[in-house]
Amino acid sequence: MSTIRIPTPLRPYTDGRKEVECPGASVTATLQELTARFPALGPHLFSGDGTLRPYVNVFVNDQDIRSLQGPATALTSDDRVMIVPSIAGGGESPALRPVDHAALRTNQAVIIGLLIAAYLVDVPVLAAAVGLLMLVGAARARPAFGWLYAWLRRARALRPDIVSDNPEPHRFAQLLGGVFLSLAGLSFAVGWSGTGWILAALVTLLAAINLFAGVCVGCAIYYWLARLHVPGFSKSPPPGVLPGRRPAA
Amino acid sequence: MTLILPPGAADDIRRHAEAAYPDEGAGLLLGFVEAGDYRRVAQVVSLANRWETGARHQRYLLEPRDLMAAEDRAEIEGLTIVGIFHSHPDHPAQPSAFDLEQALPFYTYLITRVDSGTVVASRAWRLAEDRTRFDEETLELRSDPIGKS
Repeated sequence: MSTIRIPTPLRPYTDGRKEVECPGASVTATLQELTARFPALGPHLFSGDGTLRPYVNVFVNDQDIRSLQGPATALTSDDRVMIVPSIAGGGESPALRPVDHAALRTNQAVIIGLLIAAYLVDVPVLAAAVGLLMLVGAARARPAFGWLYAWLRRARALRPDIVSDNPEPHRFAQLLGGVFLSLAGLSFAVGWSGTGWILAALVTLLAAINLFAGVCVGCAIYYWLARLHVPGFSKSPPPGVLPGRRPAA
Repeated sequence: MTLILPPGAADDIRRHAEAAYPDEGAGLLLGFVEAGDYRRVAQVVSLANRWETGARHQRYLLEPRDLMAAEDRAEIEGLTIVGIFHSHPDHPAQPSAFDLEQALPFYTYLITRVDSGTVVASRAWRLAEDRTRFDEETLELRSDPIGKS
């Protein structure tokens, strides 16, 4: 039995107890035993994936388990385990930048129009060309048809719609579309036109969901990858916005 | 849910928040939990912001060892850590998504907005039981003698 010291904010979940005796051969086993006895404590100690929440620190006899063997640290009956929160927080990340969603929507509309036209007149090379332009756009961090938007703005046909947002997920979404259409182009080249048109239809569908429903699936994938700590994907959705949803202006 | 903050404690928070500007300043609220879900602040403990330099204007971190020491001291004096205060430089006095992610239950989170180095407002919040949001607490600036609520 190890003695576990419970910090003030978590005592309401341990019947007000400051210390709890718990069996277990390791820190993980002991904490699992603790949350089995006090189930309401679980969500405050562990994230959904079963790992300790970032603010939960565990000390064994005054030593942080990170400097021992982590959650696998072995325990003996005389050990004193302390759960100590580190308290963190802070204002919104000002990393959000102005993103012109009118430019993004124009891009989506042109992509949808060109891909449907390519299918109707059966010109696969047009679909492949759209893909190529999207890849170039992603590489330059601009919408593929940004030049057309700029022209429409000069003609006063469109007005900008500036939203505080992360530009990176939109760039990734365009990259994803470009990759799909490039694969479509390859499919056409080897004679698999069915596969090619299915890929083109998928890009059309995702662009349409973005244009008409304000949901950027490519952006959502970006945020999910960021949550999985995939290198190169670092941004979180703007506060209070579901991954891929358009932030309020 | 009400946080009672005596003027002296409010001054301590203001001084710490303004001195920390443009960084976030943070610390602990020690006091009493009283019937009717009242929390009465008796003492403010300003702590160092241990977040790495470069991002302290939008982040704060209180070290577990600092917290452990403060909790021990508070208990000796018969006090409880009832909450955490921190400042939001040039930002509203409401919890951010990051605040929500990091929040602990039970504590009152007092957030103070500091605009261009001057405190403009404070609001008190508590994490909802299901961790999906913060609920606002009533903040009362008054100094009733302790024990006479």
